Amino acid sequence: MYSVELRGVTKRYPGGGAEPVVALDDVGFAVEPGEFVAVVGPSGSGKSTLLNVLGLLDDPTAGQRLLDGTDVTDLSVAERTAARKRSIGFVFQDFHLLPTLTAVENVALPTAFDPGDASDRAADLLTRFGLGDRLDHEPSELSGGQKQRVAIARSLINEPAVLLADEPTGNLDTETGESILAEFERVKEEGVAVVAVTHDPLVKEYADRVVELTDGVLVGGVPAGDETPPETARGAEAAAAGDR
Amino acid sequence: MSRADGPDRAGLGGWLRGWRPAVSMAARNLRRNRVRTALAVLGVCIGVLAVAALGIFGNVLALGAADAIGDIGTQVVVSPNNDAGVDSLSDADVADIRRAVGSPAVVPLYSDNAVVSAQNDQQFATVYGVEEPALAFEAAEGRLPERHRQGAIVGAGVAEDLGVGAGDTVGIAGRQVRVVAVLVESQTFSPVAPDDAVFLPESAFSADGYGQVLVVAESGEAARTAADDIREQVNAREERVDLFELAAIVDEVNEFFGLLSTFLLGLGAISLVVAGVSILNVMLMSTVERREEIGVMRAVGVARRDVLRVLLAEAGLIGAAGAAAGTALTVLLVAGLVVSTPEVDAALALDPTNGYYLLLALGFGVGVGLVSGAYPAWKAANERPVEALRS
Repeated sequence: MYSVELRGVTKRYPGGGAEPVVALDDVGFAVEPGEFVAVVGPSGSGKSTLLNVLGLLDDPTAGQRLLDGTDVTDLSVAERTAARKRSIGFVFQDFHLLPTLTAVENVALPTAFDPGDASDRAADLLTRFGLGDRLDHEPSELSGGQKQRVAIARSLINEPAVLLADEPTGNLDTETGESILAEFERVKEEGVAVVAVTHDPLVKEYADRVVELTDGVLVGGVPAGDETPPETARGAEAAAAGDR
Repeated sequence: MSRADGPDRAGLGGWLRGWRPAVSMAARNLRRNRVRTALAVLGVCIGVLAVAALGIFGNVLALGAADAIGDIGTQVVVSPNNDAGVDSLSDADVADIRRAVGSPAVVPLYSDNAVVSAQNDQQFATVYGVEEPALAFEAAEGRLPERHRQGAIVGAGVAEDLGVGAGDTVGIAGRQVRVVAVLVESQTFSPVAPDDAVFLPESAFSADGYGQVLVVAESGEAARTAADDIREQVNAREERVDLFELAAIVDEVNEFFGLLSTFLLGLGAISLVVAGVSILNVMLMSTVERREEIGVMRAVGVARRDVLRVLLAEAGLIGAAGAAAGTALTVLLVAGLVVSTPEVDAALALDPTNGYYLLLALGFGVGVGLVSGAYPAWKAANERPVEALRS
């Protein structure tokens, strides 16, 4: 079972003219647990759209989307929010930490409104990423690499199935970028599927698989030797599970 | 809004638990732009001050007026209806009135005019014949007899003009009469005008009908009932009597002060609305500035409801802080007014009804915050995170 999977996903935006813009064109994409996939491609090729669709921030126009074998193509806003919280971690190019919260609070942000206190878990995660002495620092007191580590810790607070990273090294120097990629390697070793959208050639070196997106068309989206996933027993099972 | 967030958060406890982190985050967000927050709080503070102070001001005026009018509303003056050819009220009429009103005291008065003279002065005054003056009047000097058998009771105005007191002698229509009491100056306007009158025993009159009948009730309410009863029963077949009812005037006075209070509250409310607009502005600006942050919160799985809570808490905190400051300022202002102006009776300022205006203003302040914050909060919470993050 894939951690996350797209089957024949198309995403069209209403463009300026009569023709809609096709951002994703019949894309098949799948990531196994513990796999690190890099998505590369020129600007405007649809990389961000792919990540948004994978991350349940945006819905496909057509096609099917599965998360941990569950069909999550058509969910209500609240269901999508809950699914994101439960199964998906985000890491952004600009880190996107809340400036008023400390490192621990930023890591615990996804669970901030839940009963129970996730501070201990957040502190453990930060310690694992070498920020044990920065727990109560605010983002303004952290370096870029430290901020990105806080962001990775935040993405892992709910033990997600998938970690989606949008240019995770884009705002970091090479050395720091490399250390962040090393963190991704550790994350994937825990069985989390990691998808990074990037321009950075460095990312490709760390990735298990590199797929290329050009004008909405994806090449090599599904792991080798597993090219025909649709209409299998597993697909039917997943569709049934999607109804729960 | 987001039912799928899980049943573990159901119930009041869960509901309250959701507000705690929201308020804590809201407070930190407000601290980010202290000047802007302080100005918005100041706006609410002024609005609340205006509502509370003007409300209390109107209330103190109304209470003061009610105090000054005193028992004006407890008397009904019944006089013969000249238009119907009734010149005076007979014993039968008085008996009818007694029967109609029940418990309130009924004091019939003969009336005439005469020159009243003292040693070196004289003046024209109304002379009443009354049997039981103690039921309707109060003595400032001397004592009012249960039954008025001899001597004269002098109104405050006459006594002052002629310079006479209890124990002196006045000449009334040529006869020398000893003054047994001087009345308290009346606070009210009444057709009887006791200040400018002299009261003699009924036996001094040879008239065969009363000029007026006073009905003295315990309260304004009772006076009004008595007046209605007289209208219904004594005037049932024939409009024999005219009624002069002070309660009606009291009603009008109260109505006026009610209107004045509403007007003053309205003035205050305008400033509170302005404060609300400034909160709306602050919240809109702040949600636009924090668009990305809100998008991130939504992306990492914070429910719309919780984003809404944080933003509502921000607006509510501005409203609450402003309302608290405004209420405290009002208390100080009223205290200062009472201390610096001896004309203002401290008891009026401390009247519990003023607390109602304080609470009203406090509630309005918080309410204005929540109402003005609702739209920006709703707007921000419902923005799609993918739009908010595209920057």
